[in-house]
Amino acid sequence: MNAPIIELSSVSKHFGNQQVLSGLDWAIAPGQVVGLLGRNGAGKSTLIECLLGLRETDHGSVTIYGEDVNNLSDAVRARIGYVPQKSDLFQWMTPRQLLDYFKALYPRWNDAKVKGLLARWGFDQDKCGKAISKLSGGEMQRLSIIRALAHDPSLLILDEPVAALDPVGRRDFLRELIDGVIERDTTVVFSTHILSDLERVALDVAFLKDGKIALQGALDELMEHARRVVGPSALMAGMRFGGELRRHDGRDGITQLITRGAGADLQALAARESSVRIEPMTLEDLFVEVTQ
Amino acid sequence: MTNHSASLFSIATGSSEPIYRQLVEQARRLIAGGQLAPGDAMPSVRDIAQALALNPMTVSKAYGMLEMEHLLTRRRGLGMVVADAPQQSHSVATRAELLRPTLKRAALEARQLELDPETVLALFAKIMKEKS
Repeated sequence: MNAPIIELSSVSKHFGNQQVLSGLDWAIAPGQVVGLLGRNGAGKSTLIECLLGLRETDHGSVTIYGEDVNNLSDAVRARIGYVPQKSDLFQWMTPRQLLDYFKALYPRWNDAKVKGLLARWGFDQDKCGKAISKLSGGEMQRLSIIRALAHDPSLLILDEPVAALDPVGRRDFLRELIDGVIERDTTVVFSTHILSDLERVALDVAFLKDGKIALQGALDELMEHARRVVGPSALMAGMRFGGELRRHDGRDGITQLITRGAGADLQALAARESSVRIEPMTLEDLFVEVTQ
Repeated sequence: MTNHSASLFSIATGSSEPIYRQLVEQARRLIAGGQLAPGDAMPSVRDIAQALALNPMTVSKAYGMLEMEHLLTRRRGLGMVVADAPQQSHSVATRAELLRPTLKRAALEARQLELDPETVLALFAKIMKEKS
């Protein structure tokens, strides 16, 4: 296993009396494409901001490429691309000015890529000369993505990158991510609510719940082994299964449990007991079960 | 020998079946059914990834499994091609076996609906005869 690119250990963060992150540990290896999932208000944006050193943590440490996030060298900074959920900055500038401004800040800047993306994503001469505040939400988001990709980052962090995009815009973005980013072994971390997009590009998923990473794993493996087991509580009470994530004993005498490690024992049980049902789960099912 | 395009494949998100598995199953069915013939060139990983907006690793994984099963083979300069199949792989039994996962799901639903096998089989026979 390669040394992780990002490492968070026992990170805590609170706002007022609300504990958002509580002793969170998380590591991301080079080349991983990780989807970060969690309910509204679970703290995904806070986690991403702490991870980038944009927000101070109460406790814990964060390192990126082995450096303390509060003390990053210019070389490491230049390797990171970030698309915030919402950017209200630079509203008075035009897209052209914004890109020129950022170009001056980075040692490396891929002009050909910027030009290509601007053309493909509908930024003609006219639009490039318009104040950013006059652009639509989707256009601002596309511009934000172009800005984040322009210096060919080796670590790309995106907070709800497609929230303001329509299905066509989302597909364009996914193709760009696949073609220009993933094929170059870039490490990508992105939060999203759109599970279908995540399924297409993420190889790993991490679920944020109660201020911690509640579950992380390879998406294919989770989908292949996650099962919902439903059966009479009387029968299920004494049984323990490997990889149990959740168990709910209903008042109707039926127990439902979720396991991430359905194996032969479970198959044998279902074959033996006709009252026990085993169902495969979709990513959406898993999202609901893990995060509620 | 045909060169197939990426439109050979389609995937569904929101399924309990991982995407790489959907690709593997589709290729198996196409090969068993003869739409993909020995020597046919498969679309490249990159073409499929672009056409379906998928992570190329997912497509590679599917191709890797099909290669391990000797359904596809890597030809220098040509990329992936459909392997020369042993005769028995086209037997009725083998092809029928490919239908098992789909039928298992149907059987589960049939039991939930408390339908007996005769009713279900009659319906299935009728559907088979319909033009899709």
